[in-house]
Amino acid sequence: MKYELVVGLETHVELLTKTKIFCSCINGFGAEPNTHCCPICIGHPGTLPKLNKEVINLAVKAGLATNCHINLKSNMDRKNYVYPDLSKAYQISQYNIPICENGYIELSSGKRIRINRIHMEEDAGKLVHKGGDVYIDYNRGGVPLIEIVTEPDISSSGEAREYVEKLQSILRYVEVSDCKMQEGSMRCDINVSVKPVGSCKLGVRTEIKNMNSVTFMTKAIDYEFERQSDILENKGEVVQQTLRYCENSNSTESMREKEDAQDYRYFKDPDLVDIVLSEEDVNKLKKSLPELPDVRIKRYAEDFGVSKSDAELIVKYKNAADFFEKASKGLQSPKTVSNFIIGQIFRVIETESEREKFNILITPNQLNELVKLIEGNKINMNLAKKTFSRMLETGKSAADFISESDMQEISQSELEEICKEAIKSNSKAVNDYLGGKEKALKAILGNVMRQTKGRGNAQMIEEKLVNLLKNS
Amino acid sequence: MVTKEEVLNIAKLSKLYLTSEELEDAFNEMKGIVKFVNQVNEMQNPDEEINHANELFNAFREDEIVPSFPREKILENVEGGKEGFFYLEKSQ
Amino acid sequence: MPKDNKGVIRRIHKLLLNKDVSCQELTKRYLEKINESNLNAYINTCEEVALESAAKVDKKISSGDEISLLEGIPMTLKDNISTSGIETTCGSKILKNYKPIYNATVWNDLKKVNSILLGKTNMDEFAMGSSCETSFIGGAKNPHDLGYVAGGSSGGVASAVAGNIAAYGLGSDTGGSVRQPSSFCGVVGLKPTYGAVSRYGLIAYASSLDQIGSIGKTVEDVSIVFDFISHYDDKDSTSHPGIKFDTQGNLKKDLKDLKIGVPNQYYEGIDKDVKENIISALKVYESMGAKIEYFDLPEIKYALPVYYILACAEASSNLARFDGVRYGYKASHYKNINEMICKTRSEGFGKEVKRRILLGNYVLSSGYYDAYYKKAQNLRGLIIKAFDEAFSRFDVLLTPTSPVTAFPENKSYNSPEEIYLADICTVPVNIAGVPAISVPCGFDSNKLPIGMQIIGKKFHESKILNAAHQFEVFTNYSYNKDLDMGVNL
Repeated sequence: MKYELVVGLETHVELLTKTKIFCSCINGFGAEPNTHCCPICIGHPGTLPKLNKEVINLAVKAGLATNCHINLKSNMDRKNYVYPDLSKAYQISQYNIPICENGYIELSSGKRIRINRIHMEEDAGKLVHKGGDVYIDYNRGGVPLIEIVTEPDISSSGEAREYVEKLQSILRYVEVSDCKMQEGSMRCDINVSVKPVGSCKLGVRTEIKNMNSVTFMTKAIDYEFERQSDILENKGEVVQQTLRYCENSNSTESMREKEDAQDYRYFKDPDLVDIVLSEEDVNKLKKSLPELPDVRIKRYAEDFGVSKSDAELIVKYKNAADFFEKASKGLQSPKTVSNFIIGQIFRVIETESEREKFNILITPNQLNELVKLIEGNKINMNLAKKTFSRMLETGKSAADFISESDMQEISQSELEEICKEAIKSNSKAVNDYLGGKEKALKAILGNVMRQTKGRGNAQMIEEKLVNLLKNS
Repeated sequence: MVTKEEVLNIAKLSKLYLTSEELEDAFNEMKGIVKFVNQVNEMQNPDEEINHANELFNAFREDEIVPSFPREKILENVEGGKEGFFYLEKSQ
Repeated sequence: MPKDNKGVIRRIHKLLLNKDVSCQELTKRYLEKINESNLNAYINTCEEVALESAAKVDKKISSGDEISLLEGIPMTLKDNISTSGIETTCGSKILKNYKPIYNATVWNDLKKVNSILLGKTNMDEFAMGSSCETSFIGGAKNPHDLGYVAGGSSGGVASAVAGNIAAYGLGSDTGGSVRQPSSFCGVVGLKPTYGAVSRYGLIAYASSLDQIGSIGKTVEDVSIVFDFISHYDDKDSTSHPGIKFDTQGNLKKDLKDLKIGVPNQYYEGIDKDVKENIISALKVYESMGAKIEYFDLPEIKYALPVYYILACAEASSNLARFDGVRYGYKASHYKNINEMICKTRSEGFGKEVKRRILLGNYVLSSGYYDAYYKKAQNLRGLIIKAFDEAFSRFDVLLTPTSPVTAFPENKSYNSPEEIYLADICTVPVNIAGVPAISVPCGFDSNKLPIGMQIIGKKFHESKILNAAHQFEVFTNYSYNKDLDMGVNL
């Protein structure tokens, strides 16, 4: 039997606030243990939470950017469970009424992944296990989170990857989160089930917790799909359970021996009051949103003549897209700029995080100047590329590598002289070419290019060489 | 009606150990108390749900940093902790 | 005691200003008296802190600086109000040796005006009880008869104030914990409107019901302290913005045309002596020009079950953090961390606390939430409405504070519900979030004090304090001469 995959994602994202959600301690990563703490975030008896206004602003922004409905009235609830990293033995979260509901993210195929809800909550501290002993750091305790929950609309690991990357991109654009999976500021729980192709009934699902890399997430989904399909194929039953993904063996394993049914005993937190937003508050936040990735992609394709797939590649990283827009100012063909970014810059900065940071030595203006030289036929593409890679290495401008003479257009007579010289000194290639090997022309062409120091246009030279050889 | 199994499960959620004697006591008391609080079910459901006796809303804090406590203070009630952490031996 | 209706705070203030006694001498006398006392009112005393503040006050006085009314007054705090560096145990083994690293807002305020904190007073464990006997050090005794309880949960404060080993004190009231012990010990206790006094630093029992209140010898004492501690606090989301009280300034109004509602339901099944005294109190009010009207408040019959559901639910969550990880008692032998947590809690909490945690988790657990917790929330709304309606007709309501007077120590009960019934008069006030005061109104046949409760509309503390004050001046029950077993003022 053929099976199809059904995946839903729950993504936790740490918000880019200055302070924690319920106290005024710094919200920051990488500090010495227990140095971002106060009696409130370590849950000392008698302390009370006070909600950070910015948390609401960012949660609403995230909702607006993902096409959600904003609930004007919501509240905070307590989710009760005892674990040493949770200082109050309850997590303050939203249960019945999340701040955002019913949104979606559109994949490049046009398929929409529906978002069921986005709610605000606090992060727990961190446990470090050493030799079985437990060390607890509460710096992360009380860091504000939003949890974004999708409907089970994802049907391949590729879609899951695209959804997560798109979500990252959107949340970075609206400056809600830096979404650094390796630092834990974005974490995914995956709900996976399989069903016979065409069946309407969802299968029993498993939950894989705490994925902190997109690559491992896709691997885990693929593995779990195979595992569950095999079970069904052998007439077995999938057990509902919480799993952990093991990177080394590329497999999943059960997190708990026996699945205790969790009973979180949710109730409205009596230490906090209702959150009431006005339409005006929401509109204000809506107006403050920057242009979102989807709109940008469309604009780059329609106004700049960049292909949709190239536009997607650049827009994904806000800094790259901003660079692109600045570097394209006043140019006839912004496409040349996007080619430089994708073909050259992305070859130098390869990782997702590097591309996100987009820390390069040159300014958009320097690339703009270079492309202007190309558009003015002052230099050919070959020279431009070489020059650009040296610019990227040094941070210097095009003018530092190309002399005045390089930029003068070569005269027809001079070009003809050089071509004739090249034909004379490359008798083997000439013979090969005349004997029918068309490729041999490249060798002669290369020779001419070297001699002209990149001033000639490759197409023009090629035409000239063909003519000369025809008449020889 | 409360069952012994339920009381055991609730004790587990409450992170309390009950000896068999305590369980018996708790079970008997719970039966009485549950019967007592069951009086609320005589009443027809009014619609409103009220959490506070005052109707406040939107008590927010500005996103401004206040220096955290010195770590020695944070760890004062656990004899200084270990290496800057709260520390629990796996067994004792 | 003189009948010049001056409260204890004003009298001490005058002694200090006139240099009849230095603040340090006075403090020492109080501390000595505490040491000699057999009331078991204090869990811990804090001599050093007290004398340090007293020295500051003396310095100010000798250099001619002005001192405010509460400056240099020896007082006490219930042991669930957080005091930085000073043990705060909540009457529980689980918090033995716990020293908060921050101050409750009320203590912050009082500390600023050099209040003399003599020590932390005894209480039922985590404020759960009506006798003070669930405390890990045993209950505070009733100064009127040491064989009787002081009441609870703020039994220590009431006992200390009545026994003259504190000029006044702060307690907390979740279902009557300030008013009932005040009534048992023959002192005055105020439960303010929910949101009038910051809860920041008060170790929570039930967050939506808890409120800090003052206990004193006279209404004036209680009024002075209330005016000082009631204000908006940005640390407490449930604190009411923009409030400021001058209840003291209102203690002179006559009671002509004051409309007093008397809810019939509060007078069913109460002790005969109590009932008789309340009825004669009503006559006193009539003689002062007030209008008395009996009326029905049937909704209060649900108040007790609603209270126990809501209070226990909130408590089960509030008390889940006591796990031995960050502070307080930690079990010493365990096989794994879950066992450490369970043993810590099983060894650290007393029976009543465990009972309420279990009930709270039961009513919140899946399958029961709607039947209990949600239902109780709905009924809470109904009770709030009923009080709103009553206050559209009356200025204040008058009831007994407790159906009974102080009971003998170690009294045995057939069931916990029987004990819970003792809270019947006080609990509806917390559910509705309105203010109420307990003021002495006579004695029973055993010469034990009887208290009456005056309930007001939200933020109408002035009205109930004035009504109580006028009664007090008229009857003089608050100045029992036999009771002067403390510092000779």
